Amino acid sequence: MTEVCECLGCNVGAIVPDFKLETYAPAKGDFGEVSLETLKANKKWTILFFYPADFTFV
Amino acid sequence: MGAEVITVSTDTKFVHLAWQRDEKMLKDVKYPMGSDPTGNLSRMFGVYDEETGLALRGTFIISPEGKLLNSEVNYYNMGRNIDELMRKFKANIHLSKHTDEGCPSKWKEEGDKTLKPSAKMVGRVSEAYE
Repeated sequence: MTEVCECLGCNVGAIVPDFKLETYAPAKGDFGEVSLETLKANKKWTILFFYPADFTFV
Repeated sequence: MGAEVITVSTDTKFVHLAWQRDEKMLKDVKYPMGSDPTGNLSRMFGVYDEETGLALRGTFIISPEGKLLNSEVNYYNMGRNIDELMRKFKANIHLSKHTDEGCPSKWKEEGDKTLKPSAKMVGRVSEAYE
């Protein structure tokens, strides 16, 4: 039987569930939080850029 | 540009702060650096490596309505092309305003030729380009 991948990366066109992330925001020099719910409320596009680790090349 | 770019790794926000202060290449960085120490968001997008606890190089564009429109994942040893990311982003903006059009691979920016898929174009794509 073929397994179907449920992850979002394999499901372009899917609605992304709301999520929150703690952040460090260099523009403010302070910690903060981003939430998809807030970004959507502000009519913003969101680009998520994952990378393996700080202190390495991105 | 109407978009929030959020970089995400499994490092904590404290490590983000230390790295951004330490690395000269990052001195002009403005975007928020997201922290996913549990790997939950990375798993949701399918980029979490259970063996290493790290996230692969995944890039995802989400519309203001919350729909995932682009997905790209590279292994650890391959960097991403920012021009291609910007091309996709600009194409999404264009297509959100012109829902009957399609952006072909050569579309780079506003004003470039788009296609309007229709019965007339079937088997005649090269003519549609002219």
